[in-house]
Amino acid sequence: MDDDLLIPDDNEGCTVALEELLAASGLGHEEVIELVQFGVFRCAQHAPVWTFHVHTLSLACRAARLRDDFGLNVSGMALALTYLERIEALEGRLRELESQLPR
Amino acid sequence: MKFKDYYASLGVERDATGEEIKKAYRKLARQYHPDVAKQEGAEERFKEISEAYQTLSDQEKRQAYDDLGRHGPGEEFHPSPEWETRFSRGGGQQEVDLADLFERMGFATGGGSRRQAADFPIRGQDVEVATELSLEQAARGTEVSFSLSVPALRADGRVETQTRSGRIRVPRGVVEGERLRVPGKGGDGIAGGAPGDLYLEVRLAPHPRFKAVGHDLYLELPIAPWEAALGADITVPSLDGPVAVSLKPGMRSGQKLRLAGKGLPHRRDGAGDLYGVIQIMLPERIGEREQALYRELAEASSFSPRHHLEGPTTDG
Repeated sequence: MDDDLLIPDDNEGCTVALEELLAASGLGHEEVIELVQFGVFRCAQHAPVWTFHVHTLSLACRAARLRDDFGLNVSGMALALTYLERIEALEGRLRELESQLPR
Repeated sequence: MKFKDYYASLGVERDATGEEIKKAYRKLARQYHPDVAKQEGAEERFKEISEAYQTLSDQEKRQAYDDLGRHGPGEEFHPSPEWETRFSRGGGQQEVDLADLFERMGFATGGGSRRQAADFPIRGQDVEVATELSLEQAARGTEVSFSLSVPALRADGRVETQTRSGRIRVPRGVVEGERLRVPGKGGDGIAGGAPGDLYLEVRLAPHPRFKAVGHDLYLELPIAPWEAALGADITVPSLDGPVAVSLKPGMRSGQKLRLAGKGLPHRRDGAGDLYGVIQIMLPERIGEREQALYRELAEASSFSPRHHLEGPTTDG
């Protein structure tokens, strides 16, 4: 595949099916449903044909890593992901404010 | 094969109990887990910790590891022939790494490893490459070349590391930290499993003028005191060339001048904004004539910038 020009997904418009999300992350079906109920994963389309924004894929992989490496249950994953999201939002805000300070 | 001291990786004694190993792992995982820690080298360190824990937390693997004896870290060593026939498939090839051997042991025993036996499809590994783009490249879109190592399965069932290279089309409008996913271009699947995905993580290189925050750009905009007081027609740089702007009279330091749509473009249409952050500057030296004018200004003005700091505070 040398010198193949690879075209990435369109992050804004692209969605993945539930099966793909499960296969790519290693999360279980029940876990994904619960994380949707917790409001941590937002689906693009609900049952019967669940789809998710591509962004959810990286969240799901992160959830599975945290589960495996720390032995978290679904509530633990939901809490950790919520905090991480909040930290990232705060870091973004910090960057924004820092760019307004004189150098 | 290079020896790795798994006990040292976890910072425990060789006779540590399973409980002590778990405790040490948890403490280090919290400290170095790449999803939690941001410090340099955390990811590498976590891999080491996790590799050590995979082996030491499993009674059978730990026993096999202990049977290897003691060696210095990085020291070349050869497992006993018995060990090799037990855990290694095929002969003589010593390019494998200790972790691969233990992983294969997981295959052989069906033990508690995250990876399962290869008699049903296993999806390939996701791989990630990072790239640094200039703001101009991010705004226009570009192509980046990459080269990465992916685990691939050889015909004889051994895992080997392959180098792959190629180019990825980066659409316009990417922002700092964005991860672009190329489906199916990660590691090979095993036993008919789907291939993993390739991720390109975008970093924006520091720009001499602009700081990017999402799609918005910030620019430090120095102006002279009289421009601040009287207003002025000035030229402001933007990613697509200079823009003429009228400053209103009475600008203050820190005030933001918003140039709508002059930030980084969005993927489809529209763009972020460019903010000029006003800094009122004085020259390093002011000449006699300027000093005289400032003195005249000081006498003529009744402005009291510290009015609100006068007198005692009410809450003492």
